[in-house]
Amino acid sequence: MDAVNIKDLVFSYDEQHDTIKGISFVIPKGSYTTIIGHNGSGKSTIAKLMIGLLEAKSGTIEILGQKLDESTVYSIRDHVGIVFQNPDNQFIGSTVADDIAFGLENHCVPQEKMQAIIEESAAKVNMINYLDSEPTKLSGGQKQRVAIAGILAIEPEIIIFDESTSMLDPQGKKSINEQIKKLHEKKNVTIISITHDMEEVAQSEHVIVLKDGKVAMSGKPMEIFDKEEALHEMKLDIPFALKFSKELKKEGIFDKNECTLEGVVEALCQLKQMN
Amino acid sequence: MNNIALGRYIPFDSVVNRMDPRAKIMIMLFLMIAIFVPAGIWGYILIAAFIILALKLSKLSLGFALRSVKPMIFMMVILLVINILVIKTGVPWLQIGWFSVYSDAVYQTLYIVVRLMLMIIITTILTATTKPLDLTLGIEKLLHPFEKVGLPAHIIAMMISIALRFIPTLIEETQRIMNAQASRGVDLENGSLKEKVMAVLSLIVPLFVSAFDRADQLANAMEARGYDPQKPRTRYKVLSMHSIDYIGLILSVLILVCCISIQVLGLA
Repeated sequence: MDAVNIKDLVFSYDEQHDTIKGISFVIPKGSYTTIIGHNGSGKSTIAKLMIGLLEAKSGTIEILGQKLDESTVYSIRDHVGIVFQNPDNQFIGSTVADDIAFGLENHCVPQEKMQAIIEESAAKVNMINYLDSEPTKLSGGQKQRVAIAGILAIEPEIIIFDESTSMLDPQGKKSINEQIKKLHEKKNVTIISITHDMEEVAQSEHVIVLKDGKVAMSGKPMEIFDKEEALHEMKLDIPFALKFSKELKKEGIFDKNECTLEGVVEALCQLKQMN
Repeated sequence: MNNIALGRYIPFDSVVNRMDPRAKIMIMLFLMIAIFVPAGIWGYILIAAFIILALKLSKLSLGFALRSVKPMIFMMVILLVINILVIKTGVPWLQIGWFSVYSDAVYQTLYIVVRLMLMIIITTILTATTKPLDLTLGIEKLLHPFEKVGLPAHIIAMMISIALRFIPTLIEETQRIMNAQASRGVDLENGSLKEKVMAVLSLIVPLFVSAFDRADQLANAMEARGYDPQKPRTRYKVLSMHSIDYIGLILSVLILVCCISIQVLGLA
């Protein structure tokens, strides 16, 4: 059973121009997939379709083996969490604890169990000291971490990040990316991240590249980054670490390319040991 | 903009902050009714004394309470002007040509101003000491009996809580748009009335566009987190009444009774 199985999905906002023009892909359970594409390629629309916020014109979406339709949308949402782009517009409670509780209340978790779950989820995203803080007192990165905690609280099997780091400063971005990585390594959750951030793409296992509402490419990050020309055509770039390692390879210092910063650092350290 | 006191929660750790929101709402209602009972100066002194006590207990300053009245000053001045022009009874205090000021005009304005001020300060104390979500929970629980006659209490409560939650966010946004427009040469302070109206328009339109955009995203976020207004939900916060709540309730009822007796017995 796959986490997500999308077949021939078509969607349009205005009945005339299709935003999604027949997309099919499969995301295996427990994997970490990034979806990239230029503005208007339909990547955020895909996220909204996957949790039933938008209704497809044709095609099917299966989440954890369950076909998404009007009757299953609420039970599917029990298993799928989504972190949106704007940190302010998804903060519903008046404090961190209230906001984490919102999802629990919706899922009818008994009141006496809530406090423990809230504390546990806040601790996972390092927000345990902010339980009584108001959203206006938090930074963008902290608000996004609260949003993640709110989702972890309901223990979904799939977590979608819809450009969750695009409104954050570099520090906030880094902390969220680390959080995502940690989630993927420690828990058995399927992670689907829609992103602009190539550093994040490098840390994922699988990449789907969208172009004009269609899947243009898909594969492992390295396979995608190899097609640098095609990426440039879609106004996408390769990560800085990869650019750096390519230059070093050209000079004959590296014998293979690395696309993550950690990989580059490790390769450099090995070089030092060899010399 | 940041010193707007009306409707903002101040996270102090005070006795009033810890009170049950239901009790606080009921106290507010009793005092509101008391304000509308024409009990003369003694009635208002009683209510004002209660307010000062509440301010002390909630660690809020008198200045904070008075600041909350500030946005109403303009309205009060207009009221005074209209009353001076319309009310021509009582003792004439001033007579310049056709223009005259009678005592009743001033007294009546003062009367309304005092009522308004008391009401605003009471509301400010309530919102400053009660978290929006607690307030909503209180309203919901108080309205609960009316659900039997088809009143969607929890939906109303959710709407109020979100409106309250977004007040600071929208104030921030307004400030940002004001700065952005000012940097583009929009002058919000000087110019003729027509120019000022146009300037305000340049503030209102983007503010509304962004508010609708926010609302849309918020609705998505709520739905994605499993919110369904038709479904039952459990509650994180549980309300419980303590002795301080009962004392407050009894005091406010006493004030109401006092005001009514003053009126009925004709002591005013």
